[in-house]
Amino acid sequence: MRVDPADRALAVAGAMVRPIVYVGLALPAVIIVAAAFTAGDSLRFPPEGFSLRWFQAALASGPFMGALWTSTQLACIATVISLALGLGAAFAIDRYEFRGRGAFRTLTLSPLVVPMVVLGLGLLQFLSWLRLNQTFVGLLAGHVLITLPYVVRTLSASLILFDRNLEQAAANLRASPWRVLRRITLPLLLPAIVSATVFAFVTSFGNITLSVFLGTSRSITLPVQIFTYVEHSYDPVLAAVSALVILVTLVLIIVVEKLVGVEKVA
Amino acid sequence: MSGVAMAGERPAVRVAGGNRGGEGQPPVVSLRGVAKVYGSFVAVDALSLDVRQGELLCLLGPSGCGKTTTLSMVAGFVEPSAGTVLIAGQDVTELPPYKRDTGMVFQSYALFPHMTVSANVAFGLENLGVPKPERAKRVEEVLALVELDHLAGRFPRELSGGQQQRVALARALALRPAVLLLDEPFSNLDAQLRVRLREELRRLIDSIDITTLFVTHDQDEALVLSDRIVVMNKGRIEQIGTPQEIYEQPATRFVAEFIGSCSVLEGSVRAGEFVTRGGMRLPVPGAGDTAVEQALMVVRPEQVKPATGAGRVPAFAAHVESSSYYGAMTRLRLTVTGEPLLMEAHFPGSKRPVAGDDISVEIDPSGIRLIPAAQG
Repeated sequence: MRVDPADRALAVAGAMVRPIVYVGLALPAVIIVAAAFTAGDSLRFPPEGFSLRWFQAALASGPFMGALWTSTQLACIATVISLALGLGAAFAIDRYEFRGRGAFRTLTLSPLVVPMVVLGLGLLQFLSWLRLNQTFVGLLAGHVLITLPYVVRTLSASLILFDRNLEQAAANLRASPWRVLRRITLPLLLPAIVSATVFAFVTSFGNITLSVFLGTSRSITLPVQIFTYVEHSYDPVLAAVSALVILVTLVLIIVVEKLVGVEKVA
Repeated sequence: MSGVAMAGERPAVRVAGGNRGGEGQPPVVSLRGVAKVYGSFVAVDALSLDVRQGELLCLLGPSGCGKTTTLSMVAGFVEPSAGTVLIAGQDVTELPPYKRDTGMVFQSYALFPHMTVSANVAFGLENLGVPKPERAKRVEEVLALVELDHLAGRFPRELSGGQQQRVALARALALRPAVLLLDEPFSNLDAQLRVRLREELRRLIDSIDITTLFVTHDQDEALVLSDRIVVMNKGRIEQIGTPQEIYEQPATRFVAEFIGSCSVLEGSVRAGEFVTRGGMRLPVPGAGDTAVEQALMVVRPEQVKPATGAGRVPAFAAHVESSSYYGAMTRLRLTVTGEPLLMEAHFPGSKRPVAGDDISVEIDPSGIRLIPAAQG
């Protein structure tokens, strides 16, 4: 078979780009994790010697552990609310004809388009008008807002591909609408739901801009804590905290993979 | 579809066990003036028909004729714009699908991909609240009926198309519905399998004696399987009849041309003869003195035969335009007195005519069919 020169050029380009992407994605994490095991007093790569003392310091640190707990709590609650709202919104957009459906679809995705700083500023104004500024509820509302687009997007894509004949077949087999939803629709949407959950959780967990605007002194999230810490000191405890976060994320992904299989989620 | 297959499946060699659902049986499904309108498009137009107890009734027509919409209104997936749907004497027009006593086989089979074969079949029984031991027994029975008991633990994606179709059938039959609904169940199978499976399906349906409403656009399928055929066009019924009636006595030009191949000649009836525009004269048995200004005559290709010279029926000089060899028979496109005529016959040995030949043919008058032009 003859090889198209354009295909050849693309294949060569792909082969060259691939290692750059792998290294670019993995290297920062590798450097941080390695640096966390240093025995020295400064954040440096390669690390000087080996010790676990910065991990001990991180785990003993009240501000970091408090922030980790806040972030985890916030991301979990925001994800659950976002899933509930997003599931409803995705079904409405996919299945019902209503006035302003296109506008509604655009609106649910708009937090992706509006710059985060603008969103944070706007929310700050809005929440103080509602007297919800500087509260956990206000922070939570902001996080629901930024995770919602990922949920709606992921579930909509899955719903478009969903074979409605399966629901009709179930109804024909005497399943009430509630049973159809529970036995057919939701189980078949499970990979998309898991995928949306991971997206939402990671988005909330890693967000810094919105949390800076909406956070309170009693609810400082981990990214904000790391960010403010870096402003006045730069020691390996940061690397240890980051390594812990990477570990938690890895565990999450492995659990998800065991539950549904990552190839189905992607 | 090859000509051989068509010739082999004419009503004369039906596998079917004759008319089981006879007249006088109570209707299981009744449609009374049922219509479905989408905006300005009339999908189904004031349609009335009965599916009798035990019969296999087929809705036949080209795509877009409203046959699938009609089936969906029986199952309850589509709400009629007007009219009444009755199942087993009960008005179900307002009832949702899950409260109707129907079992449907979908065109795509719609097997639940996350359930095994036996879980698929058990699903309906679970919804009805059939207790577990009884459920397991029924699933086993119905899977044995379609000869799939050995694949009970497989998932749908691990089955062939034909096996998937049988699972879908078993799933629908497990509930022992009042009526079995089949939506183009053979369209996803290859031609050879299709022919074999429809014979099996007919045998199965006969053996459990279930009332069946069947939708297809394939005329061979309809002729082979049905007790009665409803020919539909543009949301209306063109004709209802047994396969033989539909084939041999088409009521309209549409029916004649849709079921099997044929030549339709235009002309008039005078003094017991049909005279075509080009001047071909054909005796019309039993026409008497009736005169019809404009009429259509349907001539099936197998009624056109090489002239015997016996003189009982008139012979015509025909010019062969094209000749296609199909093995069991040869299909010829002829021109007789300037009009096109289709012929199918077996020419033994090397006597097969080729394009450009001039031959002599006669038309068997016993099966020709006159249609008043107004109905064409």
